[in-house]
Amino acid sequence: MPEGFHYVPPTDPAPAVVFENVSKSFGKQCVLDSVSLVVPKGAIMVMLGPSGTGKSVLLRCLVGLIKPDAGHIYVFGEDLTALDESRSADRNKLFALRRKFGMLFQDGALFDDMSVGDNVAFPMVQHTRLGTAEIRRQVAENLKRVGLPGVENKMVSELSGGMRKRVAFARAIALRPEIVLCDEPSSGLDPVMSATLDELIQELHRELGMTFIVISHDTAEARKISTHIGLLYKGKLQAFDTAERVLNSSHSHVKQFFERNTQGPIKVL
Amino acid sequence: MTGPLRLLESLGAVAIYLFAIVRSLFTGPRYVAETLRVADILVRRCLLPVGLAVAPVGAVISLQGVHIFRSFGAEELLSSLLATAVFREYSPALASVMVAAQAGSSIAARIGTMQVRGQIDALAVMSVDPIRYVVVPGLIACAIVTPLLNVLTTILGLASGWFFAVVLSGCDHGSFMANLYSQVSMVDLWVGMGKCLVFGTAVGLIAGYLGLRTSGGATGVGKAANNTVTYTIVLILVVDYLASMLLLRWGL
Amino acid sequence: MRFDRFVVQAVRAQFRGIPPMDEFLRHAIDAGVGSLALLTLLTIFAGMNLSVQAYGTFARFGGQEMLGLFCGVGGIRELYPVMAAIVCGARIGATLAASLANMQISEQVEALEVMGIDPMRRLIAPRLWAVTLMLPLLCAYADAVGICASYFSAVHQMGINEGVFIAQVKEIVTLPDLFAGVVKGVIFGWLVALVSCYHGYRAAKRDGAEGVGVATNRAIVHGAVLCIVLNMFLSALMYA
Repeated sequence: MPEGFHYVPPTDPAPAVVFENVSKSFGKQCVLDSVSLVVPKGAIMVMLGPSGTGKSVLLRCLVGLIKPDAGHIYVFGEDLTALDESRSADRNKLFALRRKFGMLFQDGALFDDMSVGDNVAFPMVQHTRLGTAEIRRQVAENLKRVGLPGVENKMVSELSGGMRKRVAFARAIALRPEIVLCDEPSSGLDPVMSATLDELIQELHRELGMTFIVISHDTAEARKISTHIGLLYKGKLQAFDTAERVLNSSHSHVKQFFERNTQGPIKVL
Repeated sequence: MTGPLRLLESLGAVAIYLFAIVRSLFTGPRYVAETLRVADILVRRCLLPVGLAVAPVGAVISLQGVHIFRSFGAEELLSSLLATAVFREYSPALASVMVAAQAGSSIAARIGTMQVRGQIDALAVMSVDPIRYVVVPGLIACAIVTPLLNVLTTILGLASGWFFAVVLSGCDHGSFMANLYSQVSMVDLWVGMGKCLVFGTAVGLIAGYLGLRTSGGATGVGKAANNTVTYTIVLILVVDYLASMLLLRWGL
Repeated sequence: MRFDRFVVQAVRAQFRGIPPMDEFLRHAIDAGVGSLALLTLLTIFAGMNLSVQAYGTFARFGGQEMLGLFCGVGGIRELYPVMAAIVCGARIGATLAASLANMQISEQVEALEVMGIDPMRRLIAPRLWAVTLMLPLLCAYADAVGICASYFSAVHQMGINEGVFIAQVKEIVTLPDLFAGVVKGVIFGWLVALVSCYHGYRAAKRDGAEGVGVATNRAIVHGAVLCIVLNMFLSALMYA
């Protein structure tokens, strides 16, 4: 990293996620250019960056939805990139690894042919041997946690944008995953609803000790919740460090992004 | 809203829609270039599927017909049967079904997408009549293209029938050709073309109507495309039957 | 994803264990029961039309009495199975394609993958089974309705002798013919489902609502063309 930060906590023996020189191109367009970073266990890492700079590709690489062209990704020490999806043993391993993740999609990605309750119950029905009564109890508890008690029987189409996202959140944390990925949690929401989601993340982080990886372009959100901040621009990781050090740095990309400047190294296309 | 009231409302909506179409047809401004562009796209898109769908039908008629007619020793009648069936019935019906499948569903999907994305409203805000600009060109294009395709498919159907009968099943080429036109008259040709004109117009009308009424995001677009095809197929089969009955009564 | 790779994965998923029953039942009911009204309506008119047409054509040669033969062969062997397949290609296939495309563009398929569930097993396998099993039933149903409609039209509208018509149908339509119709149904059903699932599954998030329309359109057209062309080869194989 010529001018950025490259933070590897020296005392962290088992980091949650490690990216090692990960690159990905689609055709001629290079979306990720040798990205390396380490997310320690129990962090809330917010990856910032302008739209279309490969943030969501980064997230999809992490759960094996996209295979990087080069580099390695380790999740709790296991090399995700070494798994070949066309081999069934590796495919099973990949699916097993993915159960450590919960993911909050941009528009929720709720199954719209199911009720809210069935959506939240879905991961439990698929992956656990819990009885229906127990599942129902846990669904109710999760929905209460996201501030929507008693909406189990509603259909997805009846929900507003904010409700949709919170139900999706309840589904993402249903199996108590170790890592929760959030794809633009505040996009398309009003400030109050965004703040509600931010607080939800903090609360879950505090109470359940989950690791969060959030991609966003909302600097206010990053300031509020993050323990670590990364800045991605044109496929390159411009900065990555603890929130405190990133926020206090004089790094040109970081300053421009947080100060909402049109002038600076980040160009508007 | 209760059932009868809802029905009345839909009927009203259809009437308003048809009235708007007719008004656009008889008054300016006309989007001739847009219409030709759409027609061009339709021909390119439909040529292959329509050809592929109709050609096998002639083959199947020959294939099954040879057996039956041979058992009666009336092999030379095969080509007459083939010609009447293809000219009057299968070529127009199948060409129209495939135009509905290809052109109708894509027109409905396109208009539906525009509706879902708010582009139809945007047109209206810019004082461009969406029916005039979006629906009518597709409608006219369908009405022109379907009979044209029918000419092609008739030839293809006869050719594939000939291939199966003469080349594969060993019928006599001379008697096949001699009897081919013995039972078809100009009436059959015009009936076929007329049906295509009606069906093509129906495809355009239904696609436009369902496209404009699309709601409910991406799922709605799929539904509009899907319903266009099913409604048109129903219409084609019902009209086909009624037309056959009428023609039989008139002794044509 | 390329079509050949999709087919390999789909077939592997289809024959690996029992498909998720909730999805299977939902799609089987939707494909079967949901198509009944449409198919009934269409087959009635097609069957009656077959009689009227045949009468008009055969009257020119003075062969009206052959109506039963024609309706038996043209209807049961050819028209009804193909029609059931085309109608299902248009209705079931388009529904499958639209629902899968919609799941793709709203990231529901990715959500499944992240939850560690194989979308091929969860989404594609039950749909393939549902349509493959329901279409032959629909074909048999169309045969029954169609021949009744032909009979009605021939006997009551055209004045053909009832006994002659029935005797001719019985003579020309054999048990193997009915069985062949069911076999055709299985093949058409599997193909329609496969092609529709492929077009739906191939949609991507960036395609948006347009992607759903494109998937639906392609599913309908490719399904119908495939069935018609394949029917020719199957008929040539079975009857020639």
